[in-house]
Amino acid sequence: MAVIPLNTHDHQPIRLCRSEIVSITEIAWETFVLRLKEPALSQNAHPGQFVEIRVPRCADILWRRPFSIHDADGEAETIDILFHAVGRGTEALKHLQVGDVLDLLGPLGNSFHIDDHLTEAIIVAGGLGIAPFKLFLRKTRQRNVPTTLFYGVGKKEQLCRLDDFQPSAQVRVSSVDGSVGSRGMVTDLLIEHLRTVPDMERKCLFVCGPTPMLRKVQEIAAQFQIKAQVSVETIMACGFGVCVGCAVPMRFPDPGKKEYFLACKEGPVFNMEEIIIHD
Amino acid sequence: MIDMSVKIGPLRLQNPIMTASGTFGYAEEFKDIIPLNQLGAVITKTVTVEPRPGNPPRRIVELNNGMLNSIGLPNVGVEQFIIEKLYFLQSLKTTVIVNVAGKTGDGFVECVRRLEDVDGIAGYELNYSCPNVKEGGLSFSSNAATAAQVTRAVRRVAKRPLIVKLTPNVTSISEIGLACQENGADAVSAINTLVGMAVNVKTRRPKLATITGGYSGPAIKPIALAKVYELVSKLTIPVIAIGGIATVEDVLEFLITGASAVQLGTVNFYDPGASVRIIDELHAYCIQHQLGSLSEIIATLNISR
Repeated sequence: MAVIPLNTHDHQPIRLCRSEIVSITEIAWETFVLRLKEPALSQNAHPGQFVEIRVPRCADILWRRPFSIHDADGEAETIDILFHAVGRGTEALKHLQVGDVLDLLGPLGNSFHIDDHLTEAIIVAGGLGIAPFKLFLRKTRQRNVPTTLFYGVGKKEQLCRLDDFQPSAQVRVSSVDGSVGSRGMVTDLLIEHLRTVPDMERKCLFVCGPTPMLRKVQEIAAQFQIKAQVSVETIMACGFGVCVGCAVPMRFPDPGKKEYFLACKEGPVFNMEEIIIHD
Repeated sequence: MIDMSVKIGPLRLQNPIMTASGTFGYAEEFKDIIPLNQLGAVITKTVTVEPRPGNPPRRIVELNNGMLNSIGLPNVGVEQFIIEKLYFLQSLKTTVIVNVAGKTGDGFVECVRRLEDVDGIAGYELNYSCPNVKEGGLSFSSNAATAAQVTRAVRRVAKRPLIVKLTPNVTSISEIGLACQENGADAVSAINTLVGMAVNVKTRRPKLATITGGYSGPAIKPIALAKVYELVSKLTIPVIAIGGIATVEDVLEFLITGASAVQLGTVNFYDPGASVRIIDELHAYCIQHQLGSLSEIIATLNISR
């Protein structure tokens, strides 16, 4: 199976921006969409890319926080960030007001490569791993690539509204407790689907979610001989290649020379077979 | 016109704001973000003779007002550095200093000797003190005798200015500094990171893969100030201050204490515009206080009672 060349955007300038908050909307349990006025970024963001946001008025929070670009609307000149208020940084973000201005760095990283010849783009998203796929679906819709979305959550309250995704994709939902969609893991739905469809050569998985899910999808992709691109989440201090903290172990290293990818520069999207998924 | 320039031994910088090794890549990473030619100097990420892959993750931990890192000096090696990274650095008008490390004293000498052949480098900073590199069994700046020996050996091959970066993880930083001074160092820079550690109480595992790492960021500034004070009191060569500098006030504290210049480190990660903003603020400070040159403020610490 040939490795897909991923999209790099090395020549796209990284900008420090001051972005005004247009809206903050709670769309699921402790889960928010932050909409920012961003004329330049809204035009040139690619699905899978991310931005680094400085948490305002929190001098003791040192690092910026990385967020996938959830959506980019070139006409409205806005970008959306999807976040779950889990830590100090995101807790502070949810209390921001419309009109507040954020210090933002982006666009950062590479993006998903959507081949025009795909007969099906299969998204596998777990929890907040749904984040990069709204923008992704804009692209598959524009290019008429048939898309299926497998979206797993823990429970119903965590599910983001499906109307954002349903016009552009066949959507199948699962929840661990069975409160919405099928009961169980999203990877069970994926296996079921892959058993019924032919032509793996012209399909590709696009994956984002928690580590146990990624490990399972990696196994499934190998078993069904299907290509898979994954957006990884790592801890990072900078987002643009200087802290070198976001190391992702390579499956096929050059020992003693190059054994790690950098998630911020060489990722966050990787061919799943090329990396070792670790905690 | 205010003279913002500072002298570090044989080097003259257009202003005292330098960027610390390991926090600024090879400068190219910042090219879209800040006007690089406004900086006093750029210090590259560490270069070694052989390529290094670096340490396994997890490599970094965020703490209150600081961070831990254990990166392990990943780099492409000096030959690839010359091929891939140097071209951009040569295109800069600002002063470029290459940070160099070796597993042994010979490693430092070999790396510097190779760099002596190429243009566009104003000097070297010797990284004796990365706390995250285990092999060799020798931390060159934790022992005055080895620090002296390596400085002397590199001095023999280096025509360009030599800065030695010192570790604070020693009993007496000035003893090591003096050993470097006596053996040909043109300046010292201090402090490198402090050895630190963090534990995940749920898993009872160390947060860093290498267990301990280097502690940096605003939290370490008072320690850095005390070490810089000790060094400027005992040494005659210039001292370049490093350690938690994130604002113009921080810069002024170190200059008043006697540092000839400063390096911005961790702040470059989270506030990449900080270096050029601080240069502007330093300029504004000089105007406000009617200083003809910035050097008027250096080493003006008043310790009378």
